[in-house]
This record gives sequence, structure tokens and C-alpha cells, in this order.
Amino acid sequence: MWSTDREVAAGDVVIIWQTRDIIQPLLITPGKDLNSRFGHYRHADLIGVPYGSKVGSSNGKGFIHVLRPTPELWTMALPHRTQILYLADIAFITSWLNIRRGSRVIEAGTGSGSFSHSVVRTIGSAGHLWSYEFHEVRAEKAREEFNRHGMADIVTLTHRNVCKDGFTVTDTVDSVFLDLPAPWDAVEHAKKALRKDCTTRICCFSPCMEQVLRTVTALNDAGFTDITMYETLLKPHDVHQIPVPISLSDIVDKLKKSEFKREEKRLRQIANSSKRKRDSSVDKDDGSKKAKTDDDTSNTAEIGPAAVPVTIQSITETTPVPSQPAKVNLSKPMQEVRGHTSYLTFARLLPISFSPQMPDLDENMVKSDTASSS
Amino acid sequence: MDGDANVQSFDLINNNTVQSGDTVLIKLPNGETRSVKVDRDSTISLGRIGSFYADELLDKPHGLTYEITGKTLKVLPPRTLQEVEDTDATNELINDGELVQPLTLSEIEALKRSGTHASDIIRTQIEKHTNYSLKNEYSKEKYKQRKEAKYSKTFTVVEPTLFNVCEYWYNKDQNRIRDLRADTLSQLLNMANVRPGGRYIAVDDASGLVVSGILERLGGEGRLITICDVDCPPAYPAMVQMNFKKEQVSSVLTSLNWATAQEDYVPIGASLESTSGVIRSERQRIRLDKRRVVSDALTSAREELFAGEFDGLIIASIYDPFPVVEMLSPYLGGSASIVVQSPYAQPLTDLQAKMRTSPHFLGPSITESWLRRYQVLPGRTHPTMNTTGSGGFLLHAIKV
Repeated sequence: MWSTDREVAAGDVVIIWQTRDIIQPLLITPGKDLNSRFGHYRHADLIGVPYGSKVGSSNGKGFIHVLRPTPELWTMALPHRTQILYLADIAFITSWLNIRRGSRVIEAGTGSGSFSHSVVRTIGSAGHLWSYEFHEVRAEKAREEFNRHGMADIVTLTHRNVCKDGFTVTDTVDSVFLDLPAPWDAVEHAKKALRKDCTTRICCFSPCMEQVLRTVTALNDAGFTDITMYETLLKPHDVHQIPVPISLSDIVDKLKKSEFKREEKRLRQIANSSKRKRDSSVDKDDGSKKAKTDDDTSNTAEIGPAAVPVTIQSITETTPVPSQPAKVNLSKPMQEVRGHTSYLTFARLLPISFSPQMPDLDENMVKSDTASSS
Repeated sequence: MDGDANVQSFDLINNNTVQSGDTVLIKLPNGETRSVKVDRDSTISLGRIGSFYADELLDKPHGLTYEITGKTLKVLPPRTLQEVEDTDATNELINDGELVQPLTLSEIEALKRSGTHASDIIRTQIEKHTNYSLKNEYSKEKYKQRKEAKYSKTFTVVEPTLFNVCEYWYNKDQNRIRDLRADTLSQLLNMANVRPGGRYIAVDDASGLVVSGILERLGGEGRLITICDVDCPPAYPAMVQMNFKKEQVSSVLTSLNWATAQEDYVPIGASLESTSGVIRSERQRIRLDKRRVVSDALTSAREELFAGEFDGLIIASIYDPFPVVEMLSPYLGGSASIVVQSPYAQPLTDLQAKMRTSPHFLGPSITESWLRRYQVLPGRTHPTMNTTGSGGFLLHAIKV
């Protein structure tokens, strides 16, 4: 597959990581340039740089990371020709189909090659992938890509409509993966391609429930067993550094303090206004009114100065020094995420040579209960 | 066909039949899965289901369902889905608490003892059942399934795939495998870019499930150094059900512990040379030779680790992940993947916050795996009623 050398060489496909969302493949071609909003880079300057290096642009506008391709990075960076499969589905399918070193696998259709790259990595040079694509231009594009990525020995790519014409191998593969609009039309063909000396597996990838139901019927009719279905997703989590929330007692103190200030202000306003009134109407006022305002001011004197010093002191003592506020790391699931990709319908095909023909336990019972219920 | 010779040699490693000495997973009618050692000339007992000669399983492919008759086994044909015909029955007239089964427990026991076949016992029960015909067809199906789980003397040999072994451990004791669910394990192996011929460092406090996954993906080619917290080679019990061939493991797997993996570690222990300079006996010579083999293996594993340029670091550890990452990531090559698993979000949250401030790690990101299984039966397709709450968390980053 891709280069395993320590340093980047001319002709290598590398992954250029600019940001988490801008990840692109690049074929290192001396003489060519890479221009992006993160600067200007000459391919020739990337040759000899160790994989995983951070490289600054020649015009000082930014930097990029030069990474070694992996199927997972390729999935994030590849040119989309179709809807593609993502990590969660690819990994789960690989696991359920028991794809491992030396496995022989069929895939239809090839699409953008996201699944193909992952399978080829996992089976290695001891395994083989037969990939089928019915769209001629897409098949050619994929073929060029497989050649460029050094996978040609491990993949046999055929331009063909497998629903109509079937597969090119018989009794050969360990597992079949069908990502087709009408997988039920390819189920009988898949059965022919699977080896019959051990248990083999199939997975059909369909976005709609109606497709699943038709596929299940086709699988059942073809003699596949243990039919089951899964949905799998990755929920990305975001990590936030947020200040440690202040303690409740701090809030209590803060609220008390603000209430006290409010009260203080109110009393000051009353005092001021009565003073103004007194000043303006000192001659007109009678004794009773005067006595009342006197009462008010004496009240202020009582509540205010007596209560204030204590409260203020306690507040200033407990208020933390506003230095660097402590931070805490918290994570939560991202808001906008993929909610559905496809339903994964799986089934097994047992080795027929080991299954003798004999009356089914279940059939017996079906007969018996029709008898009993009639 | 392409690569025929390769394929054949691989069938030897990826054995598709049961061999003497294998540990196989056996699924019972009630859904329980047991791990059973299959040795030639022995008898395997499955408790209530009965017992049988182990030789009956040898050289048979995995995945078959058997019925025990006497001490021998009969292969059952694969079961297909049964279409359920709709009838007018609605369960409307069935009430709880009525006596519907005149057949007593002792009568059923007597039938079982007399060797009556499970299907006949169930038929008798159905015949005597007063309300069976009032049941709708779905209820009848469920009734039969329930009875079958009780009486049938059948079992299935589960294929020892990584998926199935993981599921077995998950159902048996999920704490011991750090709640590592099959989907999460598969993501972990893909994220770490584990491939035949690759070189990896792993910390596995998940009973060896992670090690099993890596070893299977390597297929006998490549390197795996594990760091453990015991002073002898760690027991990875999950490897038992994988039935790895010796060559597939010994040529690939080496273990160091947290002390021997320190660069400043100096072994203290018995000398490799005779103290007097002369070897006095054959026994002493053998002892010294053994000591030297162990010491050489340790030295070479340490040298290999410290030489670095590994392709990936995989951690499923009980220890604080950041010091583990800090200690082991210098031995990774540029652009290598780091994957850390945890059943909890918090340790990975802190790890991510620390890693993103370091210039050595690119794009540390946390994901939680989500999985939903469906029952698919004609006219009865729906998500399963019980499911696992979470598949755990993974952090992935790239060493730069």
C-alpha cells in the first residue's frame, strides 16, 4: 500500500492536514506547488521531510502537517464520487465479517473506495479483494487510485453490474459486502461466490428499512441463516475548558451584599429627599410632619450603621482574590452529528456439505400445531 | 486465482475446523454461551443439556448446530426464518392466572427421563394446553421458542471470531474487559491502523482482548510489545478462546513491565556467570543458560522499544492515561496513531485537554460508540428491547 518509509519521497501520496476540517491527499510531484490559505508550499520542499512533520510555508503565512496516509485519513480526505462509508460502519462490518489477514473478500460497488482501502489494509498481501463497480467512469477512477496507492496486487477491480451478471469467482471468498441499491438481486450470485467448506458471511448496507426487509427475504430464501441487523454510529464529544463555577456560599454573600447596597441606596435617597423637602419647606412644615421625618432618619441611623460594618466585613473576607480562575475540563456530545448512515444486515452461510438432509425439528412442530389448532 | 499458495498457507493459520486442544464457545438453547476445552478422547458435559464425546466435534467446521443423542452428536440443518401466518386469533380471550396446562411438572420430568424427544414433549404440551388455539400466531411462536429453550438438547459451536469472543466476554464479565464492546474494539483496531507487518505498543488491562485483536490483525507478521504491571509475562485470558497457533504469538508478542520499560532501569538479580568462574555441574550450567535466555529476551525487548519508530500506541489501561501517553509516545514514528480506550468519559476529557496543548499530538478527539441491534423476523422487525447503554469512549490522536 502506501509508503512505509520514514521520510516523504517523490511519488508518495501524503495527507496534508491543515485543520481538523481541511484534510487533503497530495501526490508529491517535484515541480508542482501547493497553494492554500495556509500558505504556499513547493512539493520539492516536502521531499525528505519525515512523515508527521509540521512544515512552515515559504511565504510565512502558516503551516501544515504532512501525514502518512491511513485508510482512516483517506476516508476523511478522499475525493467523493459517491456517498461513502465512514469509520464506525467500516470497522463494524470488518469485525462482523471476520475480515483479517489473508481473508478473501468481495465488495460491490466500489464507489469512492473508502471501504476498499480499509479492507486492503486489513487483509494484507496474503488476502484478496474483488471489487465491482457498475459505473464505468467511477470504476476507472478507482482503478487509477488503487494503482497509485500500490494496491493493484491485492485488489481485482471489475467494471460490471453484479445484480445482472454476477461475480467473477465461484466458491472462493470468505465474505461478501453489498453496498447496492438492490442488494436482493445480488444475493444468489453472492452465494455462488462464497466458499462452501466453512462458515461464510455476508453484509448488506442499505439506508432504508424497506430495502432491509426485501434483503432479509432474499437472504432467507437463499439459505442464509442467523440474519441480524445493526445500526452503528460514532458520537463525537467536544471538550470545553470552563471556569470552575463559584460556590453557592459566594453567591449567597454576593446576593446579600447587593441587597444591602440596594437598601443603603434607598435609605440615602429617602434621607436626601427629606432633607430637600425640609430645606424647601422649612417654614411651612408643621411639627408632626417634622417629627415623622426625624423618626425616619433615626431609623436609618439605627439600621444602617449598626448592620453595615458587620455585613461588609464578612463579605470582603470571603470574596476570593480575583486571580486566575480555576478551569475544569468537561465534555459533551457535539450538537450537529450524523444520525443515520445505513442499516447493516448480516447473515451467515453454513457449509452445506456438513449439513445432512433430514426432517426439520421445526417443520415437525409446524405440522403438529396446524393439526392441534384445526 | 490470484495468490493461491498464500491462501492455502493461510488456511493453516486461520483454522476453520475444531482441533483437539481448542477452547470452543458453545451456545446453549437458552442463549447462554460457555467456553469449553475440546480434548481428544474426553467427554464434554453441558449440564442439563447432556454430555457427549469431544471427538464428535473434531475436524468439524465452526458454526454448526448439533443435537445430543446419547453421547453422540447429530448435525441439525440450518434454521430459516418462519413466515408467521396471520389468523383471527387475538389473545383477546386469554386471561392471566387460569390453569391452562394439565400436564404436571412430574409428568414432564417423566417424559424427559424416558428419553422423549424435545419436539414430542412440546407437542404433548401444546396438545394438552387448553388455550393454545386462542393464542395469536406470534404468541404461539414465542411459546414454542420458550419451550424449546427449556427442553431441547441442542447447542451451537460459535465461531471463534474476534467479534464473538468479545461478545462472549462482554456478556460474561464486562468489567474485566473494561466494558470494551465489539464495535468499540473494531473501531480501536481501525483507528490504530493495525495491519499485517505493523509494529505496535499496547497497554492492555482488558484481559488481553486488545492484545487478541492486534495479534489477529497481525496474523503472525509484525511486532507487538505490551507493557504490563506484573513482573512475569502477563496472563491475557481472552486469548484462550482465540485459539492462536503458537507461532502466531511467539514470533510477534513480547512483554515488558512498567519498571523494565524505564530507560534507566538496571536489572538486579542473580548473576549470569558462575561466581567462581568455573561451572561446577550440569545443573548449574542449565540454570545459568536459562537465566541468560530470559535476560537476553529482556534486553532485546528493551532495546527494541527504545529504538522506537513504532506504528501505533494502543492503551486500554487502569492507569492515568496521560503519563502513559507521555512515557510511550516518544517511541512512536512520525504520523503514528495513538488510541486510548476508557469506559469513562472523564479520563479521556482530561487527556484530550492535556494533549491538545502539546505540540507532539495532532487532532486529539473523543468519540463514544453507539450501537443498536434489531430483531429481523418477517412482520416482526424492531430494535431489541434490551441493549447496552454505552460502548465506551475512544480518544484518537496522531503523533507529530
